[in-house]
Amino acid sequence: SVTEIRSGFTAIKANIQARDPIRTLSILSYPHSLHKVKSSDRCCITHHLFNFYVDKVFKHCKTEDSYVNRKISSIANSFLSVKRKLGQCHEQNKCTCGQESTEKFKQILVNYEGLNVTSAAIKSLGELDILLDWLEKSR
Amino acid sequence: DALLPAPQNISILSTNMKHFLTWSPVIVQGETVRYSVEFQGEYEREYANESWIPICECSVITATVCNITEDISATVAYNLRVRADVGARRSEWGTLKGFFNRITTSLTPPLMKVIADGYHLLVELEDMGPAFQFCVLYWKKGQESRMQQKVVKEVSSVIHLDAMEAGPDYCVKAQTYVEAINRSSSFSQTQCVRAQGNSQSVWL
Repeated sequence: SVTEIRSGFTAIKANIQARDPIRTLSILSYPHSLHKVKSSDRCCITHHLFNFYVDKVFKHCKTEDSYVNRKISSIANSFLSVKRKLGQCHEQNKCTCGQESTEKFKQILVNYEGLNVTSAAIKSLGELDILLDWLEKSR
Repeated sequence: DALLPAPQNISILSTNMKHFLTWSPVIVQGETVRYSVEFQGEYEREYANESWIPICECSVITATVCNITEDISATVAYNLRVRADVGARRSEWGTLKGFFNRITTSLTPPLMKVIADGYHLLVELEDMGPAFQFCVLYWKKGQESRMQQKVVKEVSSVIHLDAMEAGPDYCVKAQTYVEAINRSSSFSQTQCVRAQGNSQSVWL
């Protein structure tokens, strides 16, 4: 659940964000904040983002700290559990993608691929609170 | 050196979202055997090359039990394994037969204390951790059809249920609900109290 993801992330947030030296760039919020996404597009963006984190981000976030690795595993497995549920919505056409959300997600991928893979993954993980805040606000 | 046998009888004890891995001791005469535990979630199996993650609180321990609650923090299927070490000798991994998913945890009814504080019907619930919510049912004895319900999302202190009339008994029972696995416990035993001038309570 989002609550458990939040508590797992809070435990390692400072550690992960300290590993991200590039403070001037954002993966999720450039050029527009997630909060600008229309409510009709929220499900689609959420579905895309959970796939993005599971497929691309977590596997490149391994650290030398076993406690941090365990927390990343907790978050990743929680994301996988939520991703499955969102996948069911998507299959039942309850999570359709409009033009705006498609563009927004493309931009996130452009931001991600603009950095080397480890930096991009660590930065994306460090921005989890942006995603979680947006998810909780748009509930 | 004879090969060290892998730990056997590996099993999970899981009650109220607290999960423990246990195994039978490996016996080596005159030696202290130590054990190490690792876990693997569905994410690791499907997206991270089937990697395993060590639980440092259960690395080179002499106990034959490990609290894995903090690591089993998603509702997915987990693999768990244990190996033994004696000096430089190391066993193969013993792996839990089948997966463990926290959705199978056994949920027990909550401990509950019903208090009649003058004409106020109060209940005190056991704090079982952040994952737990409670459904409390209460009714005037003999009027089960007019049962009322209160959902308690956070246990902080005594919960006020209702104002009572003098005379009849008022009865209460409660169950837990865990949103993360979408399951509830069975109900606790029913407890009844009666409004009185002074405070009266039953703790069961």
